[in-house]
Amino acid sequence: MREIKTVTVVGANGTMGYSVSGVFASFGNCKVYMVARKQEAADKAVLDAAGTVKADSVSKRLIAKTYEDLPEILPESDLVFESVAENIQLKKEINEKIAQYVRDDVIVATGTSGLSIDELSKTYPEKIRSRYTGTHFFNPPYQLQLCEVIPTSVTDKAWLKEYKDYLQKVLRRAVVEIKDEAGFLGNRIGFQLMNEVMQYAETHKDKGGIDYMDAILGSFSGRAMPPIVTVDFVGLDVHKAIVDNLYAKTNDYAHETYVLPKYAQAQIDKGEMGVKTGAGLYKSIKNEDGSKKRQVLDIATGSFRDMKKYDFPFVKNLTAALKISDYKGAFDSLKADGSLEAKLCLTFMLKYVLYSLATADAVAEKPGDADICMVTGFNWAPPIGVMVALGGAAETKKLMKEYIEADWLKKVDLDKLVNDNLKPEYDYRRYFRAGR
Amino acid sequence: MSKVYVLGGAQTDFERNWTKEGKGIFAILKEAMDDGLAAVGMTYEEIAKLNKDNRVAIFVGNFIAEKYCDQSHLGSLLTKINPNLYGVPSARYEAACASGSVALDAAITKVRAGDYDVAITIGWELMKTVSAKVGGDFLGHAADYQAEAKGVDFPFPTLFGKMADALIERYKLDETRFMKNLATISAINYENAKRNPQAQTRKWFMDEAQANDRGTATNMAVGGKIAISDCSQVTDGAAVVVVCNEKFAVEKKGSTAGIPIVKGWGHRVAPINFDLKMADSEFSACILPWTQKTVEDAYKRAGLSVNEMDFFETHDCFTSSEYAAIGCFGITEPGKEYEAIESGKISMRGDKPINPSGGLIGCGHPVGASGVRMMLDLYKQVTGQAGDYQVKDAKNGIMLNFGGTATTNYAYVIGM
Repeated sequence: MREIKTVTVVGANGTMGYSVSGVFASFGNCKVYMVARKQEAADKAVLDAAGTVKADSVSKRLIAKTYEDLPEILPESDLVFESVAENIQLKKEINEKIAQYVRDDVIVATGTSGLSIDELSKTYPEKIRSRYTGTHFFNPPYQLQLCEVIPTSVTDKAWLKEYKDYLQKVLRRAVVEIKDEAGFLGNRIGFQLMNEVMQYAETHKDKGGIDYMDAILGSFSGRAMPPIVTVDFVGLDVHKAIVDNLYAKTNDYAHETYVLPKYAQAQIDKGEMGVKTGAGLYKSIKNEDGSKKRQVLDIATGSFRDMKKYDFPFVKNLTAALKISDYKGAFDSLKADGSLEAKLCLTFMLKYVLYSLATADAVAEKPGDADICMVTGFNWAPPIGVMVALGGAAETKKLMKEYIEADWLKKVDLDKLVNDNLKPEYDYRRYFRAGR
Repeated sequence: MSKVYVLGGAQTDFERNWTKEGKGIFAILKEAMDDGLAAVGMTYEEIAKLNKDNRVAIFVGNFIAEKYCDQSHLGSLLTKINPNLYGVPSARYEAACASGSVALDAAITKVRAGDYDVAITIGWELMKTVSAKVGGDFLGHAADYQAEAKGVDFPFPTLFGKMADALIERYKLDETRFMKNLATISAINYENAKRNPQAQTRKWFMDEAQANDRGTATNMAVGGKIAISDCSQVTDGAAVVVVCNEKFAVEKKGSTAGIPIVKGWGHRVAPINFDLKMADSEFSACILPWTQKTVEDAYKRAGLSVNEMDFFETHDCFTSSEYAAIGCFGITEPGKEYEAIESGKISMRGDKPINPSGGLIGCGHPVGASGVRMMLDLYKQVTGQAGDYQVKDAKNGIMLNFGGTATTNYAYVIGM
């Protein structure tokens, strides 16, 4: 593989565009041409990129450029990273432009999270197409190391190995190779869970709905941020685009869990997308004394109300044990607790393990790739680690049969998916929090 | 006097923030002990059995839990993590950032003297319980607090900034070149940490250019010439090391083959105040003569010299302290440390690598744990268990751990 010294990022003014530029300029020690439509946007992107890696010294390797400069900078580039909006027509147009000026031995990567890599690669002549991949970083990439690499049907296998090595050893990415299927692996597992929790919020709206489900799946269950709070951060529009795409293009046992709940669509229709628009499923309002108050959407009424202070006994017992790192005691107490809330918490832990393993089986190279994706892409507990925390393969299978829909289990080979050969890629302990 | 064998141990992942996890002292003690015992093939039940005949004891290293965690009487806390530890002799040892080493000293000495067959040392510190500024004041208690730290923002960066000034003056160094040397030290430690799966900074970006670019928003000046990139980290962490006599080593492993021993040690205390230290060393060839003496004592007791050392773990609380340590180790003459830095001798590619683990700058510096973590890394290296940060064919290594401004100095030589 050519040494990667010069990189062009097209669409560098987007969050992923400038963050990825920062990664190439820092760990990669590359000169990076950051291309935006307007010079001012490119100039701003340069400042943003250095900020993402907390190193002003890299800014001297970041150069703001516009589309007019492509004929000049593309022939010099060893790698081109396309990071324009998720629109197949737009991407094809940009690809044609790129193909026009690059050298024959260039590497081209697309940052798409939803489009078919094979389809996108077709714009390129055969020579270049063999070094075209989906190279999917997670936001923010300095904090989240995951990089899903998606080859096409014609990707050069020997080159791919070197490219993955580069991403891993030079750019310090956690690299997994994933098949060209919608959502790849990380987003498919993550957004399946978040959307299903949103569906459960609807069916449990009389108990509190959104904040009720988030309180059941607090930081003690393996995620620093509860699932629906995460959706609010991601943005309902982005969430909808991802789950709609997954619903349209995948067809596994969890297919119906990708249906966006009506209340979420209603918020989108109102322009309330989440944190970025000031309100979504949660919002913060200022009290008269200036202090902030968190409110949550009440699904039944469609209006915001104050957050409830749920006081589930199972949470008290679970966190008391986690506080002293008694993980066995913690999950034994969860399993023994008969309350609806404890059962919902356990159910989602089990569903997370099953869907992770089933999806990794379908689109990844090995089960451990699910651990890598969820830890380094979402900062969630490693699914195989969750299985171990719950008592191992046999115990987890037993619980799955008790807590997961029978018609789902009929569609998977449980003994093949959940077995004692599975070893977690990461220590699970830090992901089960006793507070904050 | 019997030989003291190092059986191994474990450290926590220094990237973890236990306060964010909602976990405290008992959690970190439990996880470190669980992992440390598992690593040497011991169980709590086995400890209870050994304790029936008074064959085992526990030595706790911690600097200042009274401030960070509102807790004293630290030797007794382990009883809460497992009832099998009831009745086991256990006490806390303190010497600021050398607390881990003074605990190890007690453990090694008791085994050497034949008082116990097995000694477990656990060093720990939880530092993320407070803000950096408040923590900085706590750390000031490792200096002469009233005279050197009280009311000073970040007293230790300030003191080691003065150390940088003193090095330039004493050794008549070119300032630009010296600051670049410090940046190289920083970059090497960060680079080494990338290969250590339990290092705090393993995912961070740092290179020599960034480290040498001081006084910027991303590399703020914190004490005189010293900037953020010159500092070790604020870290939550614990490390466990188990040492034993020949009898237990044979009992446990069948023979002593392949088990490293403590070959030498040194322990010297320099004047506590930085200015007194500088006045004391005014006519010495070495700016830190007591630190140098500590290392020489360890070499002498081991019957070895710097020539036989395959690697070094040093107390790089700041880049200026690692700079001074190079001369103390005898890698170069005092005053010519730049030679070893500029030639790459102390990097992983050189023949005298310092801090393969990443050191305090790269791996992290949970104060009371650092000495124990260094000993664990010596063990890993000489037994070939250091994974991606293994020094090839490492037979002997030395650690230098100090408290305050190189006030309490400890050195250990471990080898096969």
